[in-house]
Amino acid sequence: MTLSDFIVFVNYFVLGYFLAINGVYLALYLISFFEIADYVRRETFSGFSELFGSNYAPPVSVVVPAYNEEATIVSSVRSFLTLHYPLHQVVVVNDGSRDGTLEALIEEFDLYESDQPVRMQLKTAPLRCVYTAPHERLVVVDKENGGKSDALNAGVSVASYPLVCCMDADIILEEDALLRIARPMIESGSVAAVGGIVRVANGCEFEKGRIVKVKTPRKALPNFQIVEYLRAFIASRTAWSKLGCLMIISGAFGMFRRRDLISAGGYASDTVGEDMELVTRMHRVLLENEREYRISFVPDPIAWTEVPDTLRVLGRQRDRWHRGLIDTLFRHRKMIFNPRYGAAGMLGLPYFLIFELFGPVVELLGYIAFVAGLALGVLNAEFALAFLLVAVGLGVLLSTAAVFLEELRLERYPRWRDLLKLTAYGVLENFGYRQLNTFWRVKAIVSYLRKSTDWGAMERRGFQERKEPRLREKASRQGDIR
Amino acid sequence: MMQGLSLTLWAVVLMVVLNVVLVTLTLGTKVVRSVRERTTKSRMNRLESALDESLVSGEVHPGLLRLGDRDMDLLALLMIDYLSMLRGAQREWLVALAEEAGLVMRYFMRLRASNRWRKARAAENLGYFGGPEAVAPLTELLSHPDETVRAVAARALARIGTPEVAEALARTLNDPSELTRLRMAENLERIGPLATGPLVEALESGDPRAQVLAARILGNLRAAKASPFLCRALSSADTLTDVRAQAALALGKIGNPEDVPALQKATEDEDWPVRAQVANALGMIGDLSTIPTLKRLSVDEEWWVRLNASRALANFGPAGERALVEILESDDPFARDRAAATLEERGTVRRVVEELRLQGERGAGARAMVSAMMRTGAVRYLERLARTMPDEAARSALVRTMEETRDS
Repeated sequence: MTLSDFIVFVNYFVLGYFLAINGVYLALYLISFFEIADYVRRETFSGFSELFGSNYAPPVSVVVPAYNEEATIVSSVRSFLTLHYPLHQVVVVNDGSRDGTLEALIEEFDLYESDQPVRMQLKTAPLRCVYTAPHERLVVVDKENGGKSDALNAGVSVASYPLVCCMDADIILEEDALLRIARPMIESGSVAAVGGIVRVANGCEFEKGRIVKVKTPRKALPNFQIVEYLRAFIASRTAWSKLGCLMIISGAFGMFRRRDLISAGGYASDTVGEDMELVTRMHRVLLENEREYRISFVPDPIAWTEVPDTLRVLGRQRDRWHRGLIDTLFRHRKMIFNPRYGAAGMLGLPYFLIFELFGPVVELLGYIAFVAGLALGVLNAEFALAFLLVAVGLGVLLSTAAVFLEELRLERYPRWRDLLKLTAYGVLENFGYRQLNTFWRVKAIVSYLRKSTDWGAMERRGFQERKEPRLREKASRQGDIR
Repeated sequence: MMQGLSLTLWAVVLMVVLNVVLVTLTLGTKVVRSVRERTTKSRMNRLESALDESLVSGEVHPGLLRLGDRDMDLLALLMIDYLSMLRGAQREWLVALAEEAGLVMRYFMRLRASNRWRKARAAENLGYFGGPEAVAPLTELLSHPDETVRAVAARALARIGTPEVAEALARTLNDPSELTRLRMAENLERIGPLATGPLVEALESGDPRAQVLAARILGNLRAAKASPFLCRALSSADTLTDVRAQAALALGKIGNPEDVPALQKATEDEDWPVRAQVANALGMIGDLSTIPTLKRLSVDEEWWVRLNASRALANFGPAGERALVEILESDDPFARDRAAATLEERGTVRRVVEELRLQGERGAGARAMVSAMMRTGAVRYLERLARTMPDEAARSALVRTMEETRDS
């Protein structure tokens, strides 16, 4: 095989891969379209007010890991305590913060050191103390630093209630978020976990820990991510949930049945993709135990979080996500293409392996082979141009379809200009942003092979309080969304 | 070359057309929605003022009669909103108005629609305006293939709330869909005491799905008449663990001391969920003779049983507190920790610390509890009280008692 033959072969391979991936996306979009339509119609008859007063809603423990969150932890906890739910407690885990996170909580909520015995059903770094609030359903666990997963495991152990909602300390929730995410679990005992849509909060206005105005941000980078999130959450996860192989529940906001989470072994502390790893492991354990179960997704706009607005931080985040993906696939390689693991083994994980893990490699290969083919004159220039245009056009189409689905079903952006802006960013992301993402992900594969376990720091600007804009900067290992 | 060029052109045209169509659809959706919202608002305003005038004058405003389809649906929405605010004669007048305006007829007809959402909307509205005549067609909907339609029909039936409704809902407690069963249960609870008879039948039915829910609802309704049936379910070897556990809890909620023997017998149950709920139930009934039983359960091998037994003892007032102090001295470290934690979380320790200075039995009891807690190792809370209690004398007394205990 000559070099020219090889380049032609690579180009045809990329073309085939490209057709396959877009076919998959199209199928996912179609499923999501009908699924969300059905969900929205059912919502009209859901009777949330009745559910709020129902004796049949199991109580929920909201588990919040906190590391150096002194500036915002009090307002976050206040907003979690006032969520609409028949009965819920908040469990904050201070993961060895080096600032005044614990002291801020003690002072605000009049916490006292408690002798309550803790039944440690998951292994964690040593607990220093458990604090209880006299007037609120709030428990604060102070422990040695062990990372986000370790803190979540401690919180899950301390949690008193059968449902646990794990979330980031700086997430902004809508008032009825718990009711909405808990509903699939209330309605069926076989639901082991539920994920919800996490939205981009950059640019929105907030008041007292609640969102008051939904807007797109000024900076380009968060806008690109809004479009990405619409594609990932609305168009993709809804469909995966319908197919019975949802493999990720965002680490920023997800609910689990406590006994299933514990029997799966809790969060893994030795991975950077703990959220995907946990859900994959839950699939594995539940299937190996021959349990009838479902892992659901609620296509509701209920949780908001800040996304990176600098290339440096975004690059680190994407690098970590991709390393987490590789690690999960490697740990659970036994499940891939194994019919014993049902849809998760035959659909979900193969998709992640073929299109998510190797996608950036094939894309990069495609760019190189394309340029080389043209330079060597072995590609039909017109055909190559047509292919390039279709590739870009389909990329744009997936974004505009996600924006359409958002407007048609969920309508969270009331302003015309925001819709137009998102559509424009859907076009623009194909020229630079997409390639940058490909580069970061390929780099992540290299760093995984070099055994890097760096978490990557997340810098947050802080949510803009209405009329009182403020800025905060902090470094955290545990903030970003996935 | 021409062929290649046309291919490129086709690619461009196809992609542009598809994208333009989607963007147009997105913007079109927004336009349609904005226009619809605006017209709905103005129609609602018109209907609302006509409805207000009718309510004040007692005569039906002509603007509420012979309405088009959309206006009728809007009027129904408005009237449902009003119904939640009105009582007595005005409420009845509004229901009569719904009939006169043709809403009742419209929704009866719509129950036959093939579209499930229309059917569900009709069922929902008939729950408000349909009256007893709507019971039969709504009961038919309880076997509709769609879960949402069944759930809405159940809610509508519960609003009507006749004895026939309770029977119909109780019959569907064994529905294969968990969502439907849950909705039936919620609505049976809403109907109240009328549902007791049909629920007892469901409890006796032998279908475990129906039995679990029936026991649970009977407990929530505090249905004393159901006690003998619940006792039978609790003691029957044929019933499932969940049914027995729910029956025990229901007996606790009913709170009749005559059921204590059946509950005490169930403390020997081999399944821990039953024992855990029996402990809960005994705590709810609060019969002092059950304290020894609860002390025994507080050293049960299962964590949940120990937790519930300990918390149940705290419900018994001074006698329960004495039992918890005795458990603090027991050999079982898990039982000791749990007893200390219960005394702390119920505020007993704080209250007792204030009694440390007292002479006589109360003072001695307080000192015994503090000493016992210290021997258990539950000192964090005590130390915090010794630092933060507002009453200086109480703080000193606590510090003294703690020192004395340490010395001894």
